[in-house]
Amino acid sequence: MYRDMTFSDVSRAQAVNDASVFVMDEDVFRAFYDRNARGVWAYLSRVTGDRQQADDLLQEAFYRFLRAAAPHETEEHRRNSLYRIATNLAKDARRRQLLRAPFHSAADVERAASPDGSTEQSADVSTAMSRLKPRERAMLWLAYAEGATHRQIADALGLRPASLKPLLFRARRKLAALLGRAKEGK
Amino acid sequence: MNIECAHEADALCAALQSRWPDRVDQELRAHIESCPVCKDVVAIAAAIDHDRETTAAMAAIPDSGRVWWLAQMRARREDARAAVRPIATAQWIAFACAIGLLGACFGATSEWFQSALHWLAASVDMKAFLHPLWAIAAALLLFGVPTAVYFAMGKD
Repeated sequence: MYRDMTFSDVSRAQAVNDASVFVMDEDVFRAFYDRNARGVWAYLSRVTGDRQQADDLLQEAFYRFLRAAAPHETEEHRRNSLYRIATNLAKDARRRQLLRAPFHSAADVERAASPDGSTEQSADVSTAMSRLKPRERAMLWLAYAEGATHRQIADALGLRPASLKPLLFRARRKLAALLGRAKEGK
Repeated sequence: MNIECAHEADALCAALQSRWPDRVDQELRAHIESCPVCKDVVAIAAAIDHDRETTAAMAAIPDSGRVWWLAQMRARREDARAAVRPIATAQWIAFACAIGLLGACFGATSEWFQSALHWLAASVDMKAFLHPLWAIAAALLLFGVPTAVYFAMGKD
């Protein structure tokens, strides 16, 4: 069968003919995706402040999740792993944005990515969130939108669990103040 | 000021289950109203949860089957590329060795090349090439240029 093929052709054919590329099977993946994709998209959208980027990062996050082929004992472990990948992708995307705009400050990039820069009327929460640092946004979102535990948040953001409490407290105070100011302004 | 409260989890639960403020027991309500930590937790959790629902509803999520199929295609493409990479590298190394060997054979057998080499050694002051600037220039050429090309050509 391989007589007229080069080594490259044989390797390529073997790689392509492998029936199962991923450890997770299609049905399990599809069910997992259907349960989590919206939540991850919302998370990415808030952390990056850019819906278009959230679309791209969502697909990349699920692809990397599949590719990692890590054994997960529970659905919760799978979700944690997925959110960790999504967080890292959002961080990388932000770093790339900063690299592409070396003459702009980090604050400029933040402002450009935030919904403030868009023409549409944004809600109080999204406006207030956009004024926070990406890590604060991620922290608050995981804690209060996803109901993640401190350990899970620390794991997803690459922080020590002990340092999370004061950081979360500060972020919460900051957002509460911003939301309070937004309400007073109305 | 306290940064956490023992009732924080209860307050968060009440907010996320939309029980706050009407459907929580009197004791918890009194606590939340008097505790700055729980007050913040309730206010923020309710706001973020509402925002999550609104944001998630706006999402145009691609179909799971399509995502699976695209991921399969991409994984196979990457596997195929990775499978041929060592062979391509070996081919390049073999090619470079062959060129080097040809050059060495030519240098060793060609009289013209030998005499040119002798003439060059005699006519050029070799001490000039031992200057540190030459060493720096050579190091730049050997390491700096490939590094610059790598960063210029790399995706990110």
